[in-house]
Amino acid sequence: MRDAKRFAVWFTLLAIVVIAGDRIGAFVCSRVLVSSQFRFSRVYRGGSNADVLVIGDSRGVHSFYAPAIEQLTGRPALNLSYNSMSMPIAEALLSDYLERNPKPRIVIIETTCVVVDRGLISELRTYAGLSKRLEALYAREHPSAAAAGRLFRLLPYDSEFFLRALAYLRRSDQDWINRNVIAPQLAAGPRGRWSPRPHQENLDALGRLVPMLRSRGIDVKLVIAPYHRSVMVDMNEITDGVARSVPGARVLNYADAIADSRHFADGVHMNADGSNIFLRMLCRDGVLQCQPIIH
Amino acid sequence: MLFNSFAFLIFLPLFLIGYWATRGRARLWVMFLASLVFYGWWDWRFLFLLLFSALVDYSLGLLLENEQDDAARHRLIVLSIVVNLGLLGFFKYFNFFADSAAQLSDALGLHVTWNTLRIVLPVGISFYVFKTMSYTIDVYRRTQRAERDLLRFATFVVFFPELVAGPIVRASRLLPQLTRDHGFDYERALSGLTLICAGYVRKVVVADSLAPLVDVRFAHPEAHSAMSLLIGVYFYAFQIYCDFSGYSSIAIGLARILGFDFGINFDRPYFSRSFSEFWTRWHISLSSWLRDYLYIPLGGNRGGTLFTFRNLMTTMLLGGLWHGARWTFVAWGGLHGLYLVSQRLIGPSYQRVVKSLRVPLLVSNAFLILLVFHLTCFAWVFFRAQSFQDAWQILSNIAAMRDMSFASVDNKILVLKGAMLIAGLLLVELLTWKPRQVSPARRLVFAAACIWILLLFGSFSGNTFIYFQF
Repeated sequence: MRDAKRFAVWFTLLAIVVIAGDRIGAFVCSRVLVSSQFRFSRVYRGGSNADVLVIGDSRGVHSFYAPAIEQLTGRPALNLSYNSMSMPIAEALLSDYLERNPKPRIVIIETTCVVVDRGLISELRTYAGLSKRLEALYAREHPSAAAAGRLFRLLPYDSEFFLRALAYLRRSDQDWINRNVIAPQLAAGPRGRWSPRPHQENLDALGRLVPMLRSRGIDVKLVIAPYHRSVMVDMNEITDGVARSVPGARVLNYADAIADSRHFADGVHMNADGSNIFLRMLCRDGVLQCQPIIH
Repeated sequence: MLFNSFAFLIFLPLFLIGYWATRGRARLWVMFLASLVFYGWWDWRFLFLLLFSALVDYSLGLLLENEQDDAARHRLIVLSIVVNLGLLGFFKYFNFFADSAAQLSDALGLHVTWNTLRIVLPVGISFYVFKTMSYTIDVYRRTQRAERDLLRFATFVVFFPELVAGPIVRASRLLPQLTRDHGFDYERALSGLTLICAGYVRKVVVADSLAPLVDVRFAHPEAHSAMSLLIGVYFYAFQIYCDFSGYSSIAIGLARILGFDFGINFDRPYFSRSFSEFWTRWHISLSSWLRDYLYIPLGGNRGGTLFTFRNLMTTMLLGGLWHGARWTFVAWGGLHGLYLVSQRLIGPSYQRVVKSLRVPLLVSNAFLILLVFHLTCFAWVFFRAQSFQDAWQILSNIAAMRDMSFASVDNKILVLKGAMLIAGLLLVELLTWKPRQVSPARRLVFAAACIWILLLFGSFSGNTFIYFQF
């Protein structure tokens, strides 16, 4: 009995130490997180001066190379795109951005992300403590994990996003771009008949997001970046879906704008050369307000 | 039921309440029934197989003890081995041998059709079959008294901490511990709890963080650079080590809290300076089982050099086959057999050269540790690869050194995380090399640190333990 009592005291002390360390550790992690140069940390730290804001999935990442946009437009740009970014997450991020930062002049939405499912939500738990919107999205998708995260505050920092935030503590992450060229056997593949189908949840979020941005005087561009011809896609379902959900919106479809395989890293992502050519097309067409010298 | 599952979180406190609230046979019943729940959670139908195995060996143990005629005793032990290996052979190896026979007949141009069956491998069968078989062999050798209490014997067979993935705790160690009640002991509880914490860190943090990085490389070796594949091989070496030693650590810690002593199953194997040392540090309960029930009965090292080599090769090849019904496992065992043979051939000459050149001991040891580790990694490629073609592709890509730059590696952030976790693990193993008395305060700090590491770096996707499939 004496041993059991001693163990109970020891165990209670352990619980106290664990909880205290958990709270202190989580506080330190949150400070580290917001001080990072990682794209989402910049949203929640505030003070961003981006005039051009880009959002989308991995195609958004590799189509809109932020340093090139800055060079072409002469204006600060921030690319918030991330692999598997879905529209409800984009909506939450942009809403949070506008609450914490000066509004941008233009928001470019790489619209093919309306076909993405909810994969990224679990990673966003890291930022859920900084955003009621992300917290709600995460709790809806993973209620038990969200509850565990409220009990143990270190848990939300157990993510690839937090590791990325650590990796980008001192340098910007806006230099992400593919440098490789599509493999010849992939490039020579037959022309695909892929018809991506948008999720209604994504279209609904886009339907809320675009009017909200426009009501604040922000110019919103819905753009479909180029695909390689080997996976040439039929965009009708996306454009029709967007037209239904966002009245008056026009999707700028560049899906087949670039034919040369050397400008692609794979079937769905351009490389740095492709991105550069694509951005110049956007300048030519007035989607981006570029410096005269470029023309 | 998995140690890293939510169900186990509910099961364990209920079991502990039942365990500490009872004494004597009531406690044995609690242990027995809880173990059945633990095992049946996966598939209750295989409980019958488990109980059948226990009943057969219980009966044969009694018959062996009572029988005085050597020929009859010999027949009984043969029956026990046939039944045990028959169960293992049917459930684990039937399709393997049928497929192999079909391939052989095709190669000989006979084209005989061999039917295969859709057989589900019962979890832990390799472990409990070896456990019960060693019991009857010990009774046959008269080094172990037959257990007359069926409940106690059945509890010995099904005791849940070590039922599905070891360590293989022999009757001579566990049965005597089941004859008495263990009171709650403060020191044992603390040391058991810290072992459990360390086990979870190994499994949930290290092994499960490395698992996806390993899986993607072994699934598509053709899509990865030499550097990426090399990292995959190193990571697998630590994934399987932490996965299995983590399970063992949780099992041993759990047993220690309950008052049982299972011994140790892993002892810093990647710091071994020879392969004979490696096998005294890696899966100790299996390697000692193979030594006592296979290598020594084959003649051990008593019949001269060639016989010793034959016995080593036979033991390691069968040890490889024990792990799974695939020729790549046999190749893994064969490689370790070759390593052990080569060590006996080259070892003395190496020692003479080191002595004559006056190589510092530290340098010599570091060289040997690196050599043993890398040869072990080479063998792991066969263990992990799904086919010889995959293993060959991985090894040939690495040997060709096509693109050894870190830039060619995918998921760099997660790779760096994995490397840091491995470095941390090795550092802790070095710092805790010498066993010493640990105060309750230190244990508290250690356990708390383990929990923080679990919260910050754990992978909670509920990955199964690798050794469940064996």
